[in-house]
Amino acid sequence: MTDSLRACKLLFIWQFHRFKRFLPMIVVIQVALAFGIVYGLAFLIPHIDSTTALYLATGAPTVALLLMGLTVVPQEVSQGKLTGRFEYLSALPIPRLATLATDVFFWLAAQLPGTALALIVAAMRFHFGLRIGWTIVPTILLVAFSGASVGYGIAMLLQPQVSMQLTSFISIGILLFSPINFPMERLPSALQAIHRVLPVKYMGDLVRWSLSGKATGSIGVAFAVVAGWCALGLLTSYRLATRRR
Amino acid sequence: MLLEVDGVTKIYKKGVKANDGISLSVGRGEVFGLLGPNGAGKTTLVSQILGLTVPTSGTIRIDGIDVVRKPSVARQSCSYQPQAGVPIDGLTPMQAIELSGRLHGGARSDVRARAKQLIGALALEEWEHKAITLSGGVMRLVSFCMAAVVPGRIVILDEPTNDIDPLRRKMLWQEVRKVADAGSAVLLVTHNVLEAERCVDRLAIIDGGRVVGSGTPAALKSDTADWLHLELVLEPGSSEPELPSFLRRPATAGRRMIGEVSGSALPEAIAWATTMRKRGVVEEFSIGPATLVDVYVRHVTANGSHD
Repeated sequence: MTDSLRACKLLFIWQFHRFKRFLPMIVVIQVALAFGIVYGLAFLIPHIDSTTALYLATGAPTVALLLMGLTVVPQEVSQGKLTGRFEYLSALPIPRLATLATDVFFWLAAQLPGTALALIVAAMRFHFGLRIGWTIVPTILLVAFSGASVGYGIAMLLQPQVSMQLTSFISIGILLFSPINFPMERLPSALQAIHRVLPVKYMGDLVRWSLSGKATGSIGVAFAVVAGWCALGLLTSYRLATRRR
Repeated sequence: MLLEVDGVTKIYKKGVKANDGISLSVGRGEVFGLLGPNGAGKTTLVSQILGLTVPTSGTIRIDGIDVVRKPSVARQSCSYQPQAGVPIDGLTPMQAIELSGRLHGGARSDVRARAKQLIGALALEEWEHKAITLSGGVMRLVSFCMAAVVPGRIVILDEPTNDIDPLRRKMLWQEVRKVADAGSAVLLVTHNVLEAERCVDRLAIIDGGRVVGSGTPAALKSDTADWLHLELVLEPGSSEPELPSFLRRPATAGRRMIGEVSGSALPEAIAWATTMRKRGVVEEFSIGPATLVDVYVRHVTANGSHD
């Protein structure tokens, strides 16, 4: 365990040096995006009530966490395969999933300040209360690692060009057809059936509950489903990472 | 022997044979050269030793442990300089070397001291703290330092001298030797036969996925001991001259022709080459002791392959 943490710490430092030139820009974009989403919501729905605003504002972090795993992580793997970085890291005496874990923690660190700010601004603008519980920490990790393991798996299995197309497709599916930002009842029954099995809806429920204390479904079930999917995703990622040519 | 490769074969799904019954062994303190043309199967072998590619058949042992079954032992035992170098964008060479050393398990202060020593030995001080895009040669030297800062029991260097200026190349060879002297087994993949001749203890010539010759440079050259190396550079546009009978094992690559001449035929060979030059067929020629290049060319052309 100590070795794993040490490896992750060193890889985190490596990532920091790689991206430190762009970090100010990344933070500015995240903050701008945060304000943009809040004011954008007001344009989208002119007479927004505080319940709808709560749904949208607490759905946004779920979407952001999933998109991180589905865009940044596969991009890192695909780019690494092209530059030789991936091959080099594969030959290092470090745990097989250390690079994936480092990517998730690094991009979480870059993204969370913006996401938190968006939430606070939304709560002030639309007058709803936040009640943040300790469950937010495991929830964020479960959602981030679930999304990242899907992105990682796709990038490991497919050519870079194809994997980018597929992850974009899944991202749009999550943005438009997943009951994160709206209640599931609005979806056609076929999509509802799919979302009773997939983890996306449950992720939305968990994040909302952890941020506002308002349950939009059984929290126990949500935890179980998301944890199960996350474990499956990480197990698959591990199998792919240890796969030899 | 520290590294033992025995009968290693790799056949990919579409029937492509990347290597075919390769056997070799490398001991502690030894610099072992792996020579061969492009596509000979050298990089596949490296990938198999590192545990990234699994052989279709054959065994690879490191210190007696079967690393085909336990690839994690391979990663723990090897440090590796990839052919393409290691991308270190955003990092200074010092940061990259230190991180690599610590990822290989080195303690911070030891790694820093050793990194400083390597940077000094390869005259890289100018770039030490600059996070800029490095030239190909400097990047390769930094990649070498990343492999050598905390060397594994086996150090694998894939084309370490490409793009490097002659002065630093010499320094690099000294450092390679020091790594071996400190107890590592160094496996050196290269195209550069002449350099390898001076720097390796033993070598294997690989072609078409098979070992076509192996031994010390002297042993490989033994049957050319009484022969001299003749090299001709043809005038641009001129066709290959009719070859005299005293020229043994002739081979052509572009405008360059090489062959072997026995000591007794030396005056005849000089007279022939001089005539060819006067006729404008040959631009220049040289005659000297046989080198490993002759052995390499003989093995590779006999196997029906060309670089």
